[in-house]
Amino acid sequence: MKNRFKKFCISGFALLSVTVSILVIAEENIASLRQDTPLNAVNESPAPLQNASNKDIKRGRSYPMQPPVIPHKIDNYQLDLKVNKCLSCHSRTQIEESQAPMVSVTHFMDRDGNFLADVSPRRYFCKQCHVTQIERSNLIENNFIDIQHLLSK
Amino acid sequence: MITLLKRYWDIFRKPAVHYSLGFLTMGGFIAGIIFWGGFNTALEKTNTESFCISCHEMKDNVYKELMSTAHFSNGSGVRATCPDCHVPHEWTNKIARKMQASKEVWGKVFGTINTREKFENKRLELAQHEWARLKANDSLECRNCHNFEYMDFTQQSPRASVQHSTALAKGEKTCIDCHKGIAHQLPDMSEVEGWQ
Amino acid sequence: MSMSRREYIKYQAATIAATAAGISLPSSSTNLVTDTKDAQLKWSKAPCRFCGTGCSVNVATKAGQVVATHGDIKSPVNRGLNCVKGYFLSKIMYGNDRLKTPLLRMKNGKFAKDGDFTPVSWDTAFDVMAEKFKKALKDKGPEGVGMFGSGQWTVWEGYAAVKLMKAGFRSNNIDPNARHCMASAVGGFMRTFGIDEPMGCYDDFEHADAFVLWGSNMAEMHPILWTRLTDRRLSAPNTKVCVLSTFEHRSFELADIPIIFTPQSDLAIANFIANYIIQNDAVNTEFVKKYTNFRLGETDIGYGLRPEHPTQKKSKNAKTAGKSTPITFEEYAKFVSQYDAKKTSDISGVSEDKLIELAKLYADPDKKVMSLWTMGVNQHTRGVWMNNLLYNIHLLTGKISQPGNSPFSLTGQPSACGTAREVGTFSHRLPADMVVKNPKHRAITEKIWKLPEGTINPIPGAHAVLQNRKLKDSEINAYWVQCNNNMQAGPNMNEEALPGYRNPDNFIVVSDAYPTVTAQAADLILPTAMWVEKEGAYGNAERRTQFWHQLVDAPGSSKSDVWQVMEFSKRFNTNEVWSEELLAKKPEYKNKTLFDVLFKNGNVDKYPLSDINKEYNNHESEDFGFYVQKGLFEEYAQFGRGHGHDLADFDTYHKTRGLRWPVVNGQETLWRFREGSDPYVEKGKGFQFYGKPDGRAIIFALPYEPAAESPDKEFPFWLSTGRVLEHWHSGSMTQRVPELYKAFPDALCFMHPADAKNKGLRRGDKIKISSKRGAMVTRVETRGRNKPPQGLIFVPWFDARQLINKVTLDATDPISKQTDFKKCAVNIEKA
Repeated sequence: MKNRFKKFCISGFALLSVTVSILVIAEENIASLRQDTPLNAVNESPAPLQNASNKDIKRGRSYPMQPPVIPHKIDNYQLDLKVNKCLSCHSRTQIEESQAPMVSVTHFMDRDGNFLADVSPRRYFCKQCHVTQIERSNLIENNFIDIQHLLSK
Repeated sequence: MITLLKRYWDIFRKPAVHYSLGFLTMGGFIAGIIFWGGFNTALEKTNTESFCISCHEMKDNVYKELMSTAHFSNGSGVRATCPDCHVPHEWTNKIARKMQASKEVWGKVFGTINTREKFENKRLELAQHEWARLKANDSLECRNCHNFEYMDFTQQSPRASVQHSTALAKGEKTCIDCHKGIAHQLPDMSEVEGWQ
Repeated sequence: MSMSRREYIKYQAATIAATAAGISLPSSSTNLVTDTKDAQLKWSKAPCRFCGTGCSVNVATKAGQVVATHGDIKSPVNRGLNCVKGYFLSKIMYGNDRLKTPLLRMKNGKFAKDGDFTPVSWDTAFDVMAEKFKKALKDKGPEGVGMFGSGQWTVWEGYAAVKLMKAGFRSNNIDPNARHCMASAVGGFMRTFGIDEPMGCYDDFEHADAFVLWGSNMAEMHPILWTRLTDRRLSAPNTKVCVLSTFEHRSFELADIPIIFTPQSDLAIANFIANYIIQNDAVNTEFVKKYTNFRLGETDIGYGLRPEHPTQKKSKNAKTAGKSTPITFEEYAKFVSQYDAKKTSDISGVSEDKLIELAKLYADPDKKVMSLWTMGVNQHTRGVWMNNLLYNIHLLTGKISQPGNSPFSLTGQPSACGTAREVGTFSHRLPADMVVKNPKHRAITEKIWKLPEGTINPIPGAHAVLQNRKLKDSEINAYWVQCNNNMQAGPNMNEEALPGYRNPDNFIVVSDAYPTVTAQAADLILPTAMWVEKEGAYGNAERRTQFWHQLVDAPGSSKSDVWQVMEFSKRFNTNEVWSEELLAKKPEYKNKTLFDVLFKNGNVDKYPLSDINKEYNNHESEDFGFYVQKGLFEEYAQFGRGHGHDLADFDTYHKTRGLRWPVVNGQETLWRFREGSDPYVEKGKGFQFYGKPDGRAIIFALPYEPAAESPDKEFPFWLSTGRVLEHWHSGSMTQRVPELYKAFPDALCFMHPADAKNKGLRRGDKIKISSKRGAMVTRVETRGRNKPPQGLIFVPWFDARQLINKVTLDATDPISKQTDFKKCAVNIEKA
């Protein structure tokens, strides 16, 4: 029985061997996001606070329309009615000096697809789409297949 | 009235006839110590953060904003207090700044920025004063701690290291040119150069 | 053989070309995918899987996989934009731990409550499940079974589930998780207007002169609507934005008038505004005279706690919570006059100046005002009242049903409106705003469903919180959870939910795509198809119904919720679940399965497989032999057509980017209740609130009453819970997307730096948050995006490893039965 289950776990879930051993012995033997804390217990060791990666190294994009993630910290970046800190480097007029990537040309379009003189106000709050990343391994692996890999299969 | 004043002036300008030169010298010296010491103590006292934030205008606006920044709390525990950045460390400049500050006393008395809304309305003007000062002195107060000579670019993020090793190194830029709004919130920047 | 992608494509292209044309291609070398066959993607539309905004997305598929998604340029909702979650929709189905086969807790080859999850076939799963449901029905009657569904169900999933529960099992114990989310909004609409859902639409964003957010952090929770609001605010600089909340959050970044108020005091603020409008002659007298009535509501109505709870015992009118009596305008004016600026400022902690500044926005006859609210108002022990009070303000000034003048209740979930509310998957409801209590409504339903008269149980069933209590008390013994994660999402997990699920008397079934916290607490887990792995329909917050096709196949033996419900119904015979007396009224139903009676009824099985678009798979229809979705939808649409809830025909929705109901003569309705815009308003009426028999909406006199639990010496902090931008609800999808996980990985306790200092805590310290009910260990954040005032903390609930709902209180609004997740008292100590 246990063997059969183990086999299933390996084939069906493709989980790490470490997780399999937990699965078989634990009462809630399918725990994944919650990891090994039983439902009636409190997780006594939440991960330490971790600051955003600040390496300035561009990360790959899963597909062309994916908004690029922010490769640097943005602590205390002011983004409000008075000022947009992001645009002080990424706006069209600042990139020559800052050498930062310019906001995409799509950002100049209003709701009806007309190009405006500057970035459209609807795109004003950059953080709605662009997020920082911490340096940490995935909580759960993701099997999304990049189109390039799919084509080379 | 005028005769009264003249009489006192005469007493003041005539040499002493009742006190010895030694007494006068020593007395003058001691008085000097007391006054100079008092002046300096007052100067020192007004040069502390606790003095700055004894006014709610500072405590509820700029100080509150400072608290969430790296200049307040950071890995090394070295922090900047208000005067570290806003009062020149060198004596004559310090006195000059203190004389300017008399205007701030005026502002305090007449409540120029005694509400958040009033403060926000003045924020651009106030910020521009500080930016101009730091621009003029080549960001002296920044450099009192952040000495270019001793910067290790490899410890900086690639972005920072590029800017510091080029624009800053050549003197094309000074700290405040890029590092606006790092300790306090920014004002409306629509008219500020480099932010449009 | 190793071959690079480029080499392979070249090789493949060459071979195919050579075989096809018999000639060899000139060798063109490029590092670009240029061959149409490779480069072309199949793009289809689908609404986003997440919030109630209802953005349309374009989904690219190749070789049976979703390979890209982006905002749909043609959609009037989002015009090409998505938020960060929406942009990563491509990845939500591909978490490594997708469930692929049913899992049953077993020991020695048999079901055992304390057994380990073991893979079983669908047959075994349904055998055991049917046995448990039959036993519960036999022992306890229809009240012994229950189902907990979702505002994330597709329209037909919710509809099929309601049929199985309310008609098949004759049990009203079916409720959606929308109870936690929208029930107070529904209560507000029904009490004020007699008909559910907003009168306005998203076009209001481009017309309003002022926006007032009442307990809504749109910047994070409705990001695309926030882009429309931001667009308006920044492109028309005279526009004003007022944000009210109990703590500062991202929406304050756009606030001209930021207001932080003491929890629960929004009741006083709303009354103050009404009073200000009256005192300053800003009442639209003609509108009020023609189109409104006034009523005084019952007070001291309790907190929806268990009857033996001391707080509940103290309330005088818990049993008559929804009662109200007619009053005059003068009596109403006198009632609200107690809320002057001084008193309101004392209750709310908001300065009188700010209160007046806000009131002026509403009082100015030349300002078009859009009020927006979500969970701050709805998850409130006086949530229905708050909804009523906000409508009061708009009705007094006549600022309603016109472009830009719009009290707008935002929805949390993608189909809280379309499924939970319109289909009526609540314990007291039937489709198209009808209720089980009303004999006429039951008769209409029984007629459309071709049921014997008297099939539908007239007594409302157990709502969300009550279901958990009944599970704990062994009153519900067989329970099915679909499309939600209520163990993590529901309140007071420690005292109610977990003891209920793990009660040895009970059998708990959970249908999900991933092993969630709720699945962990189950006895049987059914692997479930999600989002574009099935054909679906959602209805968003502006009454827009949107369809999508099945674009990819679900992994393993996963099946959609609608397949599960319909297939399960085959295991019940009418003789087992219906009385002799009932069957005697329709003898032809004797010895039929519930599948035959409910789904092979001539309506649902009316449309042949040939109606299905050939370009897309449809696994349910292939299994059952008829176009399942079309049949269910067209039967369901009969309820609303001609009754103010008109839906277009099935095929139309596959062609459009959604339509806003009522759709009459092919035309959608943008603003309801106004002549010229809403076809249901009679000629010459001007406005007509036709949900009420006399066409008049109701202005309610309702007071400020305190929260169910407030901070005290032992538990000195208010706890507010909620979401973050990067995660959808319990994180079961978004925590599995690496970019979203790494953007906001763990739950945190947002608190004021001074509170932290007073407690001897620093940013990042490990702390224990505890209430009378349970505890959670987490980390302190004093600098993050949320900035609570002193005395209040905010903790998000997306993190399965840190369950804040062990701490929350299961107090509900006594009228709507919706939980207040925004207020309870907690203590904090260093852990």
